[in-house]
Amino acid sequence: MKADKNTVSFTLNGELKTFATEPDEKLLTLLRREGYRGTKYGCGQGTCGACTMILDGRAVYACLLYAKQAEGRSVRTIESAGTFEEPVEFQKELIAAGAVQCGYCIPGMVMSATALMETETVFEDEIVREYMDGNLCRCTGYEKIWIALRKVLDRREAADKTGRNSPAKGAK
Amino acid sequence: MKLCEFIRPASLSEARAVLSELGPKGMALAGGTALHFMQTKTPVAAVDITRLGLSYIRQEGDFFAIGATTPLSDIQRHRGHGWAMHEIARNISTHQIRNVSTIGGNICRVFPWADLPVVLLAMNARMVIYTGSEKEEEVAADDYFAAQPAKRFHGGNILTAVKVPVLKARQGFGSVKASRNAAAFSLVTVAALLELKDGKIKTARVSAGSAIPFPHRLPSVETALIGREAVSAVFKEAAAKSGADANWCAREGMSEDYTRQLAEVSLADALEKAAAYANGRTE
Repeated sequence: MKADKNTVSFTLNGELKTFATEPDEKLLTLLRREGYRGTKYGCGQGTCGACTMILDGRAVYACLLYAKQAEGRSVRTIESAGTFEEPVEFQKELIAAGAVQCGYCIPGMVMSATALMETETVFEDEIVREYMDGNLCRCTGYEKIWIALRKVLDRREAADKTGRNSPAKGAK
Repeated sequence: MKLCEFIRPASLSEARAVLSELGPKGMALAGGTALHFMQTKTPVAAVDITRLGLSYIRQEGDFFAIGATTPLSDIQRHRGHGWAMHEIARNISTHQIRNVSTIGGNICRVFPWADLPVVLLAMNARMVIYTGSEKEEEVAADDYFAAQPAKRFHGGNILTAVKVPVLKARQGFGSVKASRNAAAFSLVTVAALLELKDGKIKTARVSAGSAIPFPHRLPSVETALIGREAVSAVFKEAAAKSGADANWCAREGMSEDYTRQLAEVSLADALEKAAAYANGRTE
């Protein structure tokens, strides 16, 4: 049994970190308190996807995890993706497609898409829908988000077919 | 549910000892997605059982053994000859929840709208429970779901695995979940396991959940199927018998009559799927 009740240690965006916490604290609350505010608080009940982050390679809702559940695991937040100056490919396409209105859902969308691109090699629509079905957007009607994502995915599939290394595999 | 403590036991026996000592103050935690919504008067101590090697899917003789803390997304992605659990797993909640929510968590405390109890009833699954002794207890679905299973775990016992039969030739499974949108809880959820012989139905297990207080089998529907031809007209006729076993409730803006019709259509669809599976459909 873990002796230390009041801390949690996990790899956050590649760096091993230890945080003070309480048994009842949600991972989302901890992350936002510690300054990782790209992960949004939306519904707080595992419906909207604004708090999506990646836990050991899988997209999860930070609002439905106790911080202690992350002990010893790898946590990646939107801060591990692009920056304002250097957005990742999907973020660039979102901007180009005019897919961002209020923007609140976008960090979650990017994290779900990241999990998709890192896990799958074939991006049939049905697979893409499955990975993205836990992210709601109340502004755009999804069309432009879908167009932006499809561009990135089509490019990757084409790159794989021509035998070149997919540029973003494992990269930021 | 408010947590006052978060305990990570090193072994199954330690987990059981801790839960047994805590009594009602303790709660086994797997994915934990339901814990956030449960109301208790006093805070509970969560006992994390996700790191005890209980996440796996493997074939053991005539069964697929699914570890209790296996997330739904693993069940959804698994494929194998005689395997039929992926379809329902895909239709539960969202991608992010499926990555966390476990098969055990879905059936240790049964919520009325839960889909897996219905599926496991139709499948004649077996629940494996660790009671402290070396030989684990195995409980058939009919017994396990006869009442709220949560009671079984009050003494610290832990569900370790769910065994679903490997479907044989001429056996087929189908399930239908009717919901307002893909991520919503089911309005009606039904499942059917059929065994065909020379185009006729030899055996049938049919079950339902949601829109009734607790999931259960539909013996009148089963009786109406056995010995008959596996064709749409028979499925519809059998589905119409569900009222003898289930009082479909009005809920979420649906009248009782609407729920009944939805249930009957869903049952006929599930039977069609099961028959198609038995006749060689693979996906």
